[in-house]
Amino acid sequence: MIQIARRVVSQDMSAHFAVLDLPAAPALRRWSELRMSVERPAGQAAEDWAARIAAIANRQDREAFAELFRHFAPRVKGFLRRNGASDAQAEEIAQEAMLTIWRKAQLFDPAASGAATWIFTIARNLRIDAIRREKRGGGLRVEEVEAEYEIDATPTPDAQIVAAQSEASVRGALDALPDDQLKVIQLSYFEERSHGEIAQALQIPLGTVKSRLRLAMKRLRSELEAER
Amino acid sequence: MTIEHHPEEATLTAYAVGALDLGQRVAVATHLAACPRCRGWTRAMERVGGAFVADSPPVAMAADALARTLARLDAPAPAADAAGRETADAPIELPKFVRGYDFGRWRWVAPRIRMRPIHLPEASPTRVFLLKSAPGATIFAHAHTALEMTCVLRGAFHHEGGRYGPGDFDLGDETVSHQPRVESESECLCLIAMQGELRWSGFWGRLAQPFVRL
Repeated sequence: MIQIARRVVSQDMSAHFAVLDLPAAPALRRWSELRMSVERPAGQAAEDWAARIAAIANRQDREAFAELFRHFAPRVKGFLRRNGASDAQAEEIAQEAMLTIWRKAQLFDPAASGAATWIFTIARNLRIDAIRREKRGGGLRVEEVEAEYEIDATPTPDAQIVAAQSEASVRGALDALPDDQLKVIQLSYFEERSHGEIAQALQIPLGTVKSRLRLAMKRLRSELEAER
Repeated sequence: MTIEHHPEEATLTAYAVGALDLGQRVAVATHLAACPRCRGWTRAMERVGGAFVADSPPVAMAADALARTLARLDAPAPAADAAGRETADAPIELPKFVRGYDFGRWRWVAPRIRMRPIHLPEASPTRVFLLKSAPGATIFAHAHTALEMTCVLRGAFHHEGGRYGPGDFDLGDETVSHQPRVESESECLCLIAMQGELRWSGFWGRLAQPFVRL
């Protein structure tokens, strides 16, 4: 837990990367370790978030909502902070994301995605909307972003190379990546650092960032196809 | 119809995490509408996003956050705009949300080549337009000052990278200079998302440069 506390994002980029570089606080821990570090209420099927979303959809279960909120809101906020959102913006988006879960619970399809994946897409859309509103003002219009991610195509199951992945198999694929490859994926896509910033943080040449990222993507694809 | 040219995994991942600008997202979504393989990858990257959210170190919410959110649960959801308006002659190959945008008028670019701007609802560093080339047309040799994404809607063209038919995706950048040639059987319609400017080369290109701003 000390390591997690030390990883709280600093507004100051160099300080942030200084934290990343400390040997005591590795930039990325294995998924399995991260999962063990999550505290769970004793005797409760804490992982069954999909059932709680269903409870909201079926009977507007406020207790289920509160449990989802207590678990996911701080994680969504942490995720957004790492992505460079300010504390106020991360707080607002996390609250809106939870409200969206309540309002759209009946649209959640556990066969199509896990709860965390669905919540990720909700937060992503809200963040795009927030950036858009900074530019042009106006109220929340996240339904526009939602429409932008709706690809009206008919599913063709035989051709879906990696579509059938569960969250567990995606974790398996991530776990199989070498540390340095996982780190560039995290920094590039989930902390939105530029290649230049990554090169500086990891003290590797710019060209190595690009080639390592490419290698990581290829490896991830082959792992995902193997896990299928 | 087999799609042979796909966006790179990195581009699709950037799409999945919301890191592309709107113009680029339009180009990638146009490819995705035609390509189950890339839809699969994109969905897998959303699951990676889910894993990152699930395992993010929690950051404490404001003390009253849960109470405030609970108090908002019963408020009616804001009415969504009655979407569904579509530009009547927008190509059906485009994703629905793109067909809902305002399209400009077809404009002359060069002999046998026309373009039609698509007006995005927000300022984007990337401009998006349709490019229609007559059968057998050769598009000027050109280079790019920044990223250019092309997705073929109908017809086909060839350049050094191979043949590009419906659904195929081509990424050009400052390192690429090419001269696409449209197949002779039918006209070619592409959606193009372009950052920066084109640099024309060759006789016709230099001649057209002062007049054409794609």
